[in-house]
Amino acid sequence: MSRVDIDHVWKVYPRANTAAVKDLTFTVNHKEFLVILGPSGGGKSSTLRMLAGLEDITRGEIRFDGKVVNNLGPAERNVALAFESYALYQRLTVYENIAFPLRAKGMKQPEVHRKVTEIAERFALTPVLKKHPSSLAGGQQQRVSLARALVRQPNLTLLDEPISHMDQRVRAEMRALIRHIHDTMGNTTVYVTHDQAEAIALCDRIAIINGGMLQQIGTVAEIWNRPANKFVAFFVGEPAMNFVTGVVQDGRSVVIPTDQGAKVFRIAGEIDGRYVGREITVGVRPQQITVSREEDGENTIPGRVRLIEFRGEITVLTMDLSDAKKTELKVVVPATERYAPGEVLWLRWPSEIIHLFDGEVPVTPQQPG
Amino acid sequence: MAEVRLDNVTKLYGRKTAVNGVSFVCKEGEFLSILGPTGAGKSTILKMIAGIENVTSGQILFNGRVVNDLPPQERNVSMAFETYNLYPHMKVYDNIAFPLRAPRWGLKLSRDKEREKVEEIANFLGIGDLLDRLPQQLSGGQKQRVSLARALVRKPEVFLLDEPIAHLDARLKFTTQTLLKEFATNYHSTIVYVTHDYREALALSDRIIVLRKGRIEQEGSPEEVYYSPASDFVGRLVGEPPMNMIDGELEDGVGGLVFKGGDSIILRVNRDLVRPMQLPPQGQGMRQRARLGIRCEYVKVSRERLSEDAFQLPVYAVVREAESVLFTFQVQEGKLLHARTRDGDVSGCEVGEKLWVEFDRHNMFFFPITTERATRL
Repeated sequence: MSRVDIDHVWKVYPRANTAAVKDLTFTVNHKEFLVILGPSGGGKSSTLRMLAGLEDITRGEIRFDGKVVNNLGPAERNVALAFESYALYQRLTVYENIAFPLRAKGMKQPEVHRKVTEIAERFALTPVLKKHPSSLAGGQQQRVSLARALVRQPNLTLLDEPISHMDQRVRAEMRALIRHIHDTMGNTTVYVTHDQAEAIALCDRIAIINGGMLQQIGTVAEIWNRPANKFVAFFVGEPAMNFVTGVVQDGRSVVIPTDQGAKVFRIAGEIDGRYVGREITVGVRPQQITVSREEDGENTIPGRVRLIEFRGEITVLTMDLSDAKKTELKVVVPATERYAPGEVLWLRWPSEIIHLFDGEVPVTPQQPG
Repeated sequence: MAEVRLDNVTKLYGRKTAVNGVSFVCKEGEFLSILGPTGAGKSTILKMIAGIENVTSGQILFNGRVVNDLPPQERNVSMAFETYNLYPHMKVYDNIAFPLRAPRWGLKLSRDKEREKVEEIANFLGIGDLLDRLPQQLSGGQKQRVSLARALVRKPEVFLLDEPIAHLDARLKFTTQTLLKEFATNYHSTIVYVTHDYREALALSDRIIVLRKGRIEQEGSPEEVYYSPASDFVGRLVGEPPMNMIDGELEDGVGGLVFKGGDSIILRVNRDLVRPMQLPPQGQGMRQRARLGIRCEYVKVSRERLSEDAFQLPVYAVVREAESVLFTFQVQEGKLLHARTRDGDVSGCEVGEKLWVEFDRHNMFFFPITTERATRL
């Protein structure tokens, strides 16, 4: 199996009288790696728990391959679950931990042995099969936990923030491992996280949930280039998208007033006429701005460097923009380029990187033709 | 503000050496980070500077004056603890105001002046609306910022900050990091900052001390630590993914120096890049075990063989970043190699497909093979 439909699903906690999940609808495709991303308290974990069968569905349907599973218990759904905490049996060896779900199903030893050794190989756990979990490093324990979840060859793998708190030295390896396992075992995976970098790293598609509602579902490129609203635009990306107030001058341009007169920015496409003369939020990603020491014509605006943060391959500049509100703006530059605090730089925002918002709502210019 | 100097400081807990002959100077107005993994001795050093822990041997000096025997309250320092240490029965306001009221510093601020200072730092750290709450009503991230505000509200001779933003979620961590940098810049403060997170150390510090098992492994500017790691340990501690490490041998051959690692990797090596102690003994065929280190940015990946030194590896996993793609290969049993490529360089790649991999010759490092395994996969 493997297609999962979530169809107008609600989760209401009557005692708290709050809806944790509101009318959620999306599909996880066969063999897809779908990441549910959102801030804590946004409804991600409730969704995952309803998929696992650990939580009742208040209204709506969840279907696995077209079959409604609302009333099936966790065991009947054949889903694998791995949480952030490892929850390994400390008194059992790694081998017995992994074998546990198979033995629980009444599988015979020769087959148990075959399955355990095979999955141990995949997870590079062969050398530690006879050890106890407590003698293993955190990364290894997490791998045991994942191996135990996946040894049954479940229909669906559900992962809840399994690596977000790991040391940076093992995080990259764990990400690669999780993606490798997904690709080679041919599972359908749903992965929950609050960490946008993690979501980008692992997903085929991301479903962004906030306030119990789906904000956007799409590939990284879609979410990066065409965020469905200002929340998504701000939530995905580090440093986050900058927002500056501008005024729509005509269908093809916005202006940002500064001490040195209004700076004109050409827009890709045509903005609806009703916005002309109105204030609008201009969004630009720090990663897409280019900087220059000389004035550089249209689509540029000066700013003064306030702080410089070295991040390895890149440097993040915090700047005071020269607009009327002295907006704080972040710019990512290659670490090989050196700038000094106090320096004035010209920032270029090519028309294709400019996002426009009217409040939360994106203003999508009509493409010509 | 003061200069802090440690002179051959050692700390023993029973027979266990937590800090082993550490010497460094944090100059007046300097932001110095102590970076290391859990258990390296970072917090112990900070506590000895604060006077909370005794020094077993060696000296700690503030502005040239030995302070070993001064109790904490006589050392003019402010400290933020990773564990917050807030007074549970006091409101956030009183927790933050507490250091301003300590009789030792004789500030005797008027109520208005006190409120002004508390509100200023609370607003700066984005917790201005929490002043009337009790600590138990706060999330972990809020408590941590209250703890930080309490440390920053008074201007002591030295600020000692122990993982002050470790428990904030990713977005808040970056914004608070920027605020700390701004604070340090504006007040020209002497700050000793403890962290296990290389990103904080790189972004904030004037200088970094990398600590390993109670000893200094490297000392230098953020750029030095990032671009010229003194050891494989530093290379793996700094950067994400950590620096790739491949164990093998350096061999003096007919065509010059060559590195051989695993079954598939044979590379020509610029002799100038190898530290003399790492070179094999003079003479053809002589070998020396070595660990090659290379950052993922300097590993090139392509479908065509671009040079003689390229080698083929099957793709283990493809992981994305916002504007780049990370390819991972399995080089040796349980050892992965990461390569960062620009979006679209190699597209539509499947796991298991063999790609050509090449190392930038000018950005390879050779380290001695340390006993502690660099990778625990």
